[in-house]
Amino acid sequence: MSGPRAVTVLIEDHLITLSRAVGLIRRRNLPVHSLAVGPTDAPGVSRLTIMLQSDDATAGRAAQHLQKIIGVRDATAIPAGDAVAREIALVKLRPPPERYAELLDVVQLYHAAVVDESADVVIVELTGSEAFVLSCIRALERFHIVEVARSGAVALESGAAELRMSTQPQLEAGAT
Amino acid sequence: MTETLTGSQILCRVLLEQGVDVLFGYPGGAIMPFYHALPEYPALRHVLVRHEQAAAHAADGYARATGRAGVCVATSGPGATNLVTGIATAHMDSTPVVAITGQVPRAMMGRDAFQETDIIGITQPITKHSVLVDDVDRLAGAVREALAIAVEGRPGPVLVDIPKDVQQAKTEWRDQHAARQPAPRPGGVPGPLADAVRLLAEAERPLIMAGHGIILSGAYEELRALAERTGIPVITTLLGISGFPESHPLHLGMPGMHGEVHVNRAIQQADLILGIGLRFDDRVTGNLAGFARHAKVIHVELDPSEVGKNVAIDVGLVGDARDILRALLDDVAPRDCKAWRAQIADFMRPRQESFREDLSPGAILGAIDRAAEGRCTIVSDVGQHQMWVAKLFPYRRPNTHLTSGGLGTMGFAVPAAMGAALARPDEPVWAISGDGGFQMNMQEIATMVQEGIPVKMAVFNNGYLGMVRQWQQFFHGRRYSATPIWSPDYVRLAEAYGIFGRRVERGDEVGDAVRAAIAHPGPALVEFLIEQEANVFPMIPPGASLSEPIEGEPTEPRLVPA
Repeated sequence: MSGPRAVTVLIEDHLITLSRAVGLIRRRNLPVHSLAVGPTDAPGVSRLTIMLQSDDATAGRAAQHLQKIIGVRDATAIPAGDAVAREIALVKLRPPPERYAELLDVVQLYHAAVVDESADVVIVELTGSEAFVLSCIRALERFHIVEVARSGAVALESGAAELRMSTQPQLEAGAT
Repeated sequence: MTETLTGSQILCRVLLEQGVDVLFGYPGGAIMPFYHALPEYPALRHVLVRHEQAAAHAADGYARATGRAGVCVATSGPGATNLVTGIATAHMDSTPVVAITGQVPRAMMGRDAFQETDIIGITQPITKHSVLVDDVDRLAGAVREALAIAVEGRPGPVLVDIPKDVQQAKTEWRDQHAARQPAPRPGGVPGPLADAVRLLAEAERPLIMAGHGIILSGAYEELRALAERTGIPVITTLLGISGFPESHPLHLGMPGMHGEVHVNRAIQQADLILGIGLRFDDRVTGNLAGFARHAKVIHVELDPSEVGKNVAIDVGLVGDARDILRALLDDVAPRDCKAWRAQIADFMRPRQESFREDLSPGAILGAIDRAAEGRCTIVSDVGQHQMWVAKLFPYRRPNTHLTSGGLGTMGFAVPAAMGAALARPDEPVWAISGDGGFQMNMQEIATMVQEGIPVKMAVFNNGYLGMVRQWQQFFHGRRYSATPIWSPDYVRLAEAYGIFGRRVERGDEVGDAVRAAIAHPGPALVEFLIEQEANVFPMIPPGASLSEPIEGEPTEPRLVPA
C-alpha cells in the first residue's frame, strides 16, 4: 500500500547537513510528496518532515539511510495510520464585493481565518490534514484565488512515541 | 606549551599526531600554503602523483592494505574534481580515504573565482562526510574528526575542504593529543541470534556468503572456525576474496555474474544463506526475483540500512561480523553437511577456455604465485582480467586481493598498487590490468620511479576492451564498436621510464619473465599478449537469474535482453 508516509528527522542546523539529507532522498529516488523544515525547542536543531509517496518499508529504509548522516540526530518513519499530519495554507483571494459575506461563511465553515485584508484582496489562513486543506481550497476557488502558499505537512506519531536525540552535537557549531 | 602556528602547520601536526605517515597529492594554487609548511614535517612522506585521480586511488590502496585512513591532497577546482572518481570508488567499497582539498580564500568563495568549485557539493553523494573548514580554530578538530569518521563503523571517504586563507591564518596551538578517537565498532550481539542458530541447525543445504565485511572486521579466524564447525561451504564475493583460504575444502568460489556454475547452482538450491558483510549487490544476485528462491536468509551486517535492502531476509543480525561470528560459534552445534557438499561437487563443470600459445590467465597467475612463494598482494583493475584474477589466483593470506568492486573503476590497479606497496614494503605488490585500464593511469610509472615504489605491473594485452567486447559479442551482434584498442610498445615504454620491461608471447616464457620482474629492484612491467577474443565463462546475462548461465561460446549472436 502506498500513500504519504511521514519521515521525521531531527537535524543539526547546518545547510550542508540539510543538503545531505535532501540529496539522499533524491539519490535514492524516493518519491517526495512534501518537505517541511523548521526549528525545534533544542537550540541548533531543526525538524525536517519528509512526506514520501511510498510504503512503510521504503519509508523505514529512508529513515535508516538518513540516520547515517553525520549531523542527523535521529530519524524515524511513522507507520501509516499512526501519523498525525497537518499543514497550513495561506490563500490570497480577490472576491467580488457582492460575495464577500458568502466568503466569510466558507471561512467559518472550515475553521479558517481571514488574516489580511486590503482594498480588494484578502488572505485566508487554514490548517488541517492535506485532504481538508485541499477541500477548503476547492471551496474557495469560486472567490477568485490569486495565489496559494502551502507549508507542506509536519507530523507526529500518535501515542507516546517520540524522537529521542542525543544532546551531544555531532558537528561543531558554525560548521558549514 | 602554546605556540602560534599557521593552519597549514596545524594540519601537518594533526596528521602526524593521528598516525598518518604518507600523503598522496599534487600541489596547486589554493593548497600552496600547506605545501609551504610540509617540508617542516619530514615524517610526513609526500608522494607526488602525476594525476590527482591516482592520489585518491593510491590513498585507497593504502587504506585497503592497512585498514587505516589513506590520505590524499589536491588543490581547488580541477585538482579537487580529479579526485572524484577515486572518492566514489572508496565510497562504493567502504574504504577509509580522507581527501584534503585547498579552496579559494573565504572572501572569494561563491564568486566563481579562478579554480573555485563547490567540491563539498560535488562529492556530497559519494562521501561519508565532508566539511568546509572556515575558521582556523576549527581546523584541528575537523581533521581529527575526518580521520576518525573515515575508519569508524562502516568505513568511507571523508573530504576536508580548506580555504587558502584558513591555511595561512595563525592561531594558538596547544598539544592536545587525540582529542577524537574513532568510535569502537558497535559491540554486543543483537537479539535474534537464537533464531539464526536454529536456522543453521535445521537447514539441509546451507551456504555462507562472505563479503568485504569479513576483511573490514578481520573475522578470518571466526569465519573459518564457523565453517569448519558446521561443514557449511563458503562463497566469497569479489571483495570477500582472500577472506577465506582459496584452497580450503569448504571454499566454493565466487558467486554471481561470472561465478562458477557450481557456486551459482548451490545458491539456487540452498535452503539457507548466511550472508556476512555483503550487500547482495546485483552482480552477486542476478535477477532478484529468481535469486535463491528456496533459501531463508540470515544477514550479518554492520550497516542496518543494508539489511533487507536488496534481498528479503529472515533474520537480520546488525553488528560487527567478528563479534557476531564469535557469538554464533558459542552456540552452533557441530555438523558436517556431507550430503549437501557431495551434491555441490556434482555441479562442478570443467572449464572450457582455450588460449593461444598456452598463455592463459591461469598460467600467468600461477607463475606469479609460485614466484612470490605465496607471499604477495594482488591489485586488479576492472574487466575480463579482473574476473580471472578473482577466480584463478590461489589467495592464501587474508586481504591480499584488492580491487574496485562496487564502482568498477578502470585505471584503479596501478595507482592503488602504489598505495598498497608503500603499506606492504616486505612483499611484492602486483598491479594486474588489461590494456585498457592500464592506459588510463600508466602515467603513474613516473611516480613510482621518482618515489622508488617497486610495483610489479602485469598487463593482460588482448588488443580489446575485452569485457565490453565480450558483451558486444554476446548481446550486440558482434558489433565491436570502439573496443579495439591500440597499445604502445610496452617494453619501450618501460625503457623510456627506465624500468624493467618484458613482453611475453608464449606460455613457456611466463615463469622466467615473472621471476625476473620480481628479482629486479624497483618497478617492473610485464606485458602478456593473450588470446584476443577469449571470453570470461560462465556468464549470467544482465537481467537473468543465476540459473541461466552462458557456459561456452554462443552459437548464435544474442540480442540485448529487454
